[in-house]
Amino acid sequence: MAKLPNIQRGKIYIMLAILTWFALLFVDLVRLFGEINQMEGGISREITWILEIIFFIVLYLYFGDSISKNENSNFLNLIWRAASTGLMATITSFLIIYFYYLLDGSRLSEDPLLRNFFYHVNFALTSLFLISSALLWKHLILYQKSKAVVQQWQAYEVILLISMFFVLINQESYDYGFMFGLIFLIIYGIILSVNLKWIPYLTFREKWKSILFLAIIIASTAYLLVQLVSYNQKNIDFVNLSENLFLLGLFAFVLIYAVFSFLVTLFNLPTSSVFEQKLTEAISFQKLSQSIQPGENEEQVLDILMDSSMSAAYVDAAWLELHAQVEEDQPGKILHQKFISNGERQDLMAILKKTEPFASYLNEQEGGKLEYIYGKIPHETFQSVLIIPIRANKKILGDLFLLKEVKDGFNKEMINIISTFVGQTSISIENYRLLNEAIKNERYREELEIAQRVQRSLLPSELHHNECFEIDGFSAAADEVGGDYYETYRFDRDHFALIIGDVSGKGTSAAFNMSQMKGVFHSLVQLNLGPKDFLTKANSALSRCLEKNNFITTTYYTVNTREKEIRFARAGHCPTLFYSEERGASRFLDIKGMGLGIVRNLSFEQYIEEGKMNYLPGDVMVMYTDGIVEAKNENGQEFGYDNLRNILDRNYHLSAREIRTKIIESVFAFVGKEILPDDDYSLLAIKFKA
Amino acid sequence: MLSINMTAAREHLVIALNGEVDASNSVELDEVIQEALSGSVQKILVDGRNLEYISSAGLGVFMSYLEDFREKNVAFVIFGLNEKVMNVFHILGLDQLIHIKNTQEEAEESLYDA
Repeated sequence: MAKLPNIQRGKIYIMLAILTWFALLFVDLVRLFGEINQMEGGISREITWILEIIFFIVLYLYFGDSISKNENSNFLNLIWRAASTGLMATITSFLIIYFYYLLDGSRLSEDPLLRNFFYHVNFALTSLFLISSALLWKHLILYQKSKAVVQQWQAYEVILLISMFFVLINQESYDYGFMFGLIFLIIYGIILSVNLKWIPYLTFREKWKSILFLAIIIASTAYLLVQLVSYNQKNIDFVNLSENLFLLGLFAFVLIYAVFSFLVTLFNLPTSSVFEQKLTEAISFQKLSQSIQPGENEEQVLDILMDSSMSAAYVDAAWLELHAQVEEDQPGKILHQKFISNGERQDLMAILKKTEPFASYLNEQEGGKLEYIYGKIPHETFQSVLIIPIRANKKILGDLFLLKEVKDGFNKEMINIISTFVGQTSISIENYRLLNEAIKNERYREELEIAQRVQRSLLPSELHHNECFEIDGFSAAADEVGGDYYETYRFDRDHFALIIGDVSGKGTSAAFNMSQMKGVFHSLVQLNLGPKDFLTKANSALSRCLEKNNFITTTYYTVNTREKEIRFARAGHCPTLFYSEERGASRFLDIKGMGLGIVRNLSFEQYIEEGKMNYLPGDVMVMYTDGIVEAKNENGQEFGYDNLRNILDRNYHLSAREIRTKIIESVFAFVGKEILPDDDYSLLAIKFKA
Repeated sequence: MLSINMTAAREHLVIALNGEVDASNSVELDEVIQEALSGSVQKILVDGRNLEYISSAGLGVFMSYLEDFREKNVAFVIFGLNEKVMNVFHILGLDQLIHIKNTQEEAEESLYDA
């Protein structure tokens, strides 16, 4: 088919149909005029028939087109379209009769040409009605189509096409051939007419409406048939348009399908509520499975569960009781209560707690794997009860109580469908909780990442030094954030301060204390205090902020590169490892010390010593936290002080960076790959050069 | 792993620590000392002969009760620490604040002589 836009194609069909009809009218009137005036050489009847066939085909194409455009409109609209076309054709026919009634007795009423004109009008409208109805039936027949039905319909269309041309072959009307063809078409129409799958999908109301419309169609069809036939009998002058196998076959088909539909719809009326019920259940099920979205709550899904269960079992009253959730600190409550008062509910509960099989479940409140309890109770209004526990995450969330006024009111099907609803509800609630948990965890993770970034920024990215020494640092936290700390400060060209510290505990709380330590360092370092004074003041400051059982160990150093002098004091921190080029060996600088925050008064000073020493080029100083010496391997052995000292003894000649790398690599190699670090490691290496 | 036994002897309490004290079980140690302090006992002995390891969190527990011991005039002595654990106490400076003895006899002696 040419790719004309749909609307244009429709218009062209209309134009063609009208033109064909006018041609047909003109041809027939001319012929009739000739016959009346007994003129020779009239137009042959074949031309009329061919025009008639063209008219049918154009109409068929037009309606086929326009219906496929309205593919999705509902059945009732389609049937109404057919019925209204039928009504229009019928009313027009009545108007013509009324017109003749008004003309009664006048010359005009006897005029064969006028009569012929009206005949053509009737014919056109009837064809219109039949063809459009037939195509609507096609749409209904092919609802939920199978391949076989499609093939049947295509065959029927071919047969109809052939039947149009039958008139050209067999000019004798109503002979055996014609009758045989007609009977064949009728039987085929009957076979097609058993495809009535659309009917069950109508609601009760829609069924009533469609019965009305179908009645209109049947009446119109019957009337139009009678009317066309009566035309034939009245006047032999007419060119008989209706003696066409196609037209009569369509009459039969439209009528048969309408009658079948009418009867089937009528007999379907009583069962339609069951079908609607099943459809509602399916929709409820879908609603339950989609109901919980993030941001909505569980009560909404329980609400849907209540409604669905109540309508599925035609329940007279119901309530939903949520159990107390100890962990979430929620008291038990009645969430929904339908068609029953508080007083009645309490009465019923009292009866249930005395009646088996409910009593054992309700009194013990542990359902195990119980799916439902069903039975009858001695109550004046409600005779049968169904209790279904609602579970989520293997716990019983609550119970659904359904009540009916009749005895044995719940059958197996109802219980099954309600159990399915409850199951789906549980899944929805579990999914909802999982989703919320996932969102929460995601948020914690993000916040921890932020803490990690903040803490990373607390450790210096660059360590102050001058050409007299190299310095290199490393730090790794066991958890996302750690409690190790080191920093440097430059007073002037030759004077530096260094600090290394370790906060007791690890993780987030340690990280907070570490940031306090950083604050204390930066405030006090500017006072340019000696190491002992520095630590005493730091202790005094931290004693006011640290929690009772928290402390910080640290060592503070001042380095004077002009005098080549180091002064230091140790506040409970691991003793510094010092390699002396002169002695050719390393040792731990163990002097008296006390952790910050342990003694929270002025007596702290007496527990602290200050050390002073001179360095030579080539000397190495290694500061570290206890994570290094206490690192354990898979046998539970600690890395230890001796290991650390031995490594430095072997590698003192390397640069600060290389020494640092060697030590860290050795620790990691000692611990092994399988073991996750359980403490923070930090290390500062200093190599003096001049 | 940590197990704690508390026994009464003469006028003192003996708290025996077995295993390791770290962040995960330092609370247990805290509870035991709290309980010991709540009684009328004036002398507490900690048996550290089977203490294999103590982390900073464990040290924090001892540290946090130093003030209470002084206020309530409770004598508190630890004995029998192995070299490694002793070193941990020493590095932190706790050996300057807590009486730490090598043997039970020495410890008891210091309790009753003081």
